[in-house]
Amino acid sequence: MEDELKRYLGSFGYPVIRQGSLAKDTSYPPTFFTFWNIEEAASYYDNQEAILSYDFDVNVYSTDPNTAYSLLDQARTLLKNNGWIIAQRGYDVASDEISHVGKGMRVIHLS
Amino acid sequence: MAVGGNRTGVKWNKGGALRRNKFRLDTSGIDDLVEKLDGLGGNIQKAVTQALEEAAETVQEDTKEAVKKAYLPAKGQYSGGDTEKSIVDNVKVEWSGTIGEVGVGFDKTQNGAGGFLITGTPRMAPDYKLEDIYVRKRYKSQIVESMKRVINEYITDAMEGRK
Repeated sequence: MEDELKRYLGSFGYPVIRQGSLAKDTSYPPTFFTFWNIEEAASYYDNQEAILSYDFDVNVYSTDPNTAYSLLDQARTLLKNNGWIIAQRGYDVASDEISHVGKGMRVIHLS
Repeated sequence: MAVGGNRTGVKWNKGGALRRNKFRLDTSGIDDLVEKLDGLGGNIQKAVTQALEEAAETVQEDTKEAVKKAYLPAKGQYSGGDTEKSIVDNVKVEWSGTIGEVGVGFDKTQNGAGGFLITGTPRMAPDYKLEDIYVRKRYKSQIVESMKRVINEYITDAMEGRK
């Protein structure tokens, strides 16, 4: 499911990296996505695995706040159109660099 | 955490990650118990207050422990000391009509790395233990179970005539 998420986010043409993986001596790209796999949980029925839930954070960081807002919105639309569940419009996320703003959302896929 | 409707409710509010305004719990199981206690003439406010305050203390202690173990600098606005000081520690339920609230998590008006630790940054992965407390379902389920135990004690007392 991570590969699918990365594929969708990558379709916008910006770098997609795992949250926390950017080296200290590497500059932030002007605009980029990060993701983080919060958990993968299974629900059971009659001793059988019934539903698998994949829970991710998706964040956008950008030097341009409008880009961050707009890109997160576009990502939200694309993911929802492809079966992902997103209950929020987004929230602020912390940035290491004062030059960038961050916006994030939580996305879930059930299978 | 909110119990809706016209019944006495509980709410778990404030604190949490920079990006989230509420530490949300699924309290549907507690709603039913509160209704049962109400039907028995039990003291709902007392029961819910105790349940919330005990749960908040647990979250507070677990948060402090997680922050102590997190990799934070010794000085500066994201230091371990400042982050620990920003943990909400006023474990007192405030009632607004039929809704009780208690604050948990980090005080966003103070210095500290609480928000960073829970959401991570492009250069720092989220702190596993804090994410466990504030994001994942299992910990929250345990908190809700502990609250149910408190309210069940009040139900037992009410059934046995000890109100």
